[in-house]
Amino acid sequence: MSRFYYYLILINMIANIISAVPTILLYYREDGAVSALIVGAMLGLVIVVIYTKFFNAFPGMTFPELLVKTMPKWFYYPLLCFMAIMWFVAGASTLITYTFLLIRYLTPDIPIILLGLTLIVSIIFGCFMKTDRVLYTIEIIFLINFPIIIFIIIKAYTSKSLNWDFIKAAMLHVVEMPNMNVITACIFLSLGVVNLVIFNRFFTQKQNFGLKQIMVVAFISIATIFTTYFIPIGFHGLKSIEEMIYPWVATSDSMRMKFFLIERLVYVFLLLYLSMAFLSILIHWHVAVELFKFVFRLEKIKYKDIPIGYLIIILFFTAASLFLIVTLTEYQLFQYSKYFFNLTAVNFFGMIFLLFYIARRMKGAKDSKN
Amino acid sequence: MLKTVKTKFFILAVISSLILLSGCGEFKDIDKMVFVSMIGIDESGNPDKPYKIILKLYVPTSSFKQNPAPEYSYLIKEGLTMAETISLLESHIDKELDFGHSKLIVVGEKMLQNQKNKVILDFLIRRPDIQMISYFAVGRPNAEEIVKFAPAGETALQPTIFNYFDNSGAETSYIVTSFLFDFRRRMKEDGISPILPIVEMDESKTHFIINKSIVLEEDKPPYELDSEKTLLVKLLSNDAKSIFYEVKRGDELFVTRLDTIKPHYTVDIKENNKVFIKVDIKLAGIITESKNSLRNKELPRYSKLLDEEMKEKVTAVIDELKREGYDPIGFGLRLNSHTLPKNRMNDKEWLAAFQNANVEVKVDSSLKSTGSIQ
Repeated sequence: MSRFYYYLILINMIANIISAVPTILLYYREDGAVSALIVGAMLGLVIVVIYTKFFNAFPGMTFPELLVKTMPKWFYYPLLCFMAIMWFVAGASTLITYTFLLIRYLTPDIPIILLGLTLIVSIIFGCFMKTDRVLYTIEIIFLINFPIIIFIIIKAYTSKSLNWDFIKAAMLHVVEMPNMNVITACIFLSLGVVNLVIFNRFFTQKQNFGLKQIMVVAFISIATIFTTYFIPIGFHGLKSIEEMIYPWVATSDSMRMKFFLIERLVYVFLLLYLSMAFLSILIHWHVAVELFKFVFRLEKIKYKDIPIGYLIIILFFTAASLFLIVTLTEYQLFQYSKYFFNLTAVNFFGMIFLLFYIARRMKGAKDSKN
Repeated sequence: MLKTVKTKFFILAVISSLILLSGCGEFKDIDKMVFVSMIGIDESGNPDKPYKIILKLYVPTSSFKQNPAPEYSYLIKEGLTMAETISLLESHIDKELDFGHSKLIVVGEKMLQNQKNKVILDFLIRRPDIQMISYFAVGRPNAEEIVKFAPAGETALQPTIFNYFDNSGAETSYIVTSFLFDFRRRMKEDGISPILPIVEMDESKTHFIINKSIVLEEDKPPYELDSEKTLLVKLLSNDAKSIFYEVKRGDELFVTRLDTIKPHYTVDIKENNKVFIKVDIKLAGIITESKNSLRNKELPRYSKLLDEEMKEKVTAVIDELKREGYDPIGFGLRLNSHTLPKNRMNDKEWLAAFQNANVEVKVDSSLKSTGSIQ
């Protein structure tokens, strides 16, 4: 597979360490989280394989284009609109979580609305770039940050303060029935592949997707899920980890690099994840913008000959996310993220049937042409 | 048409950016901040204002050559809650207090006796700017004296007390290093008790002495471990890097320097719910001092003497912890790590089971050399 494909998957997984996912996983640690992790990882892999195989069969075509060819209008406009809103919410949830993190740890003196606005302004114009440019941006930022993130995670595993007894004790909770919320949160980690609905435009050549590639993706997803769940437990214990609102920030605050430039790792961690959050939001909102563009034909909306379609989207994104940033509390964010993960998991499993249907129709169209 | 709109928009943007000329009021320059170097928390004795907060502040100096002597200022106040006391202390100084660089938290001994550690912990963890990797220590006789004390030889670079815990300067195995997050997890989890170092001053008030430790357990008075027991507890929890150990058996009296220390323990429940603890310690090192002259070929015999001595002492320490009901090494946690969740014991049940536990210690040491002479 093209390396850009792996970026899409990896960024969604890595960026989720700072979203509500670890909080949800750790909240259910005594109600079947561990077995749900296994189920979630497997179901996530199923989604990755099916979606990749599907889009690989139609190189260079986006999902809206495929829908136009195979489906009636009344069906795909509402569907695409719904999907666009979903991608917007996915980006917004990362944005809100990260704004909360920044205000709590890095810049407690700046008013939250200014902080949110700064982040939005720096991201929103990136979303209107061409798809290939977005991918190049992702590559540059990702390649700079990813090695340091791997370094921090290796540091966490080799830290003397990591108590494996806690991790072993947590693992034994595997005997419980899998928890639904954890499964869906876990599936959400693997949903980076669904960004192909737009990003498939870039992959114009048929890619090689065999057992080797599936193994790589499986390894990445298992390693990420294991790290996300067990490292905070190893540092903070099993019984009272739920007290931590941001388990991963607390964990990075518990790591210490005696001879590093900065002893307190949490600041390095937050800055690295600022760029990861940026990438994640950029990807999600790029897809959302492209879908909105398709549904509402934005480039055609004009006021006195001035195209204002993009302006409407910018204003809508900014206003909606700022409104959410100001009104939501941490508890609401946690609850709504949970519902959102449930919704996405159900939705993308449901869409598998649609994919099969589209694939058949496309095959039929091809056959009749010949 | 489009071009004029663009020009208009550009002019509008430039004019509106003039607002920024007045500068931003949200950012605090470094001269508006003062950095806290350590936090002391004491019991005041006044029931209305039970907490006494002592903050040690760095005094900025322009260069090290001008002020080689350490200079600090202190803020001290009593209050009902810690957060409010600190916010009141902010009105005692013209700058903003920055806790992000505070590396040590000293709690007065009395505070622990009155079981106040939960409240303190809650406050310290809840504040995001206090590092979770700050050291946590107990001050004797109280926190105030320890925080205010600058030992001989301290320079303006940094408080020397940080080096004691850092293990990069002093590397003695008598100092227990406890980070804030470690203290928290030991407090909250079952099957492991918190252990904290005790910081004292020597009689002539020139240096710190840190070689004792204190073990806590809920609803129990804190239990003090003297320096030898502290060493052995550190050894058992795999924290000791190298230790000097004295062997006195029969008429042999020698001191060994052990630099390979590999403790290993298993905890199991066997028939009729009795706990079996098996400790297996592997040691290697050399002899550094002896009363009698030694023989190289008799090294296996000396190793055996060390085995016996170590076994006796370790068994005695574990027995004492068992009897008193404290578990700083984490035997209970080890048991939980291979017990299914529904069979796990909580803290109280574990300590009761621990008291009747069967302990078996095995020491396997090999002394490699008698030093430079026989």
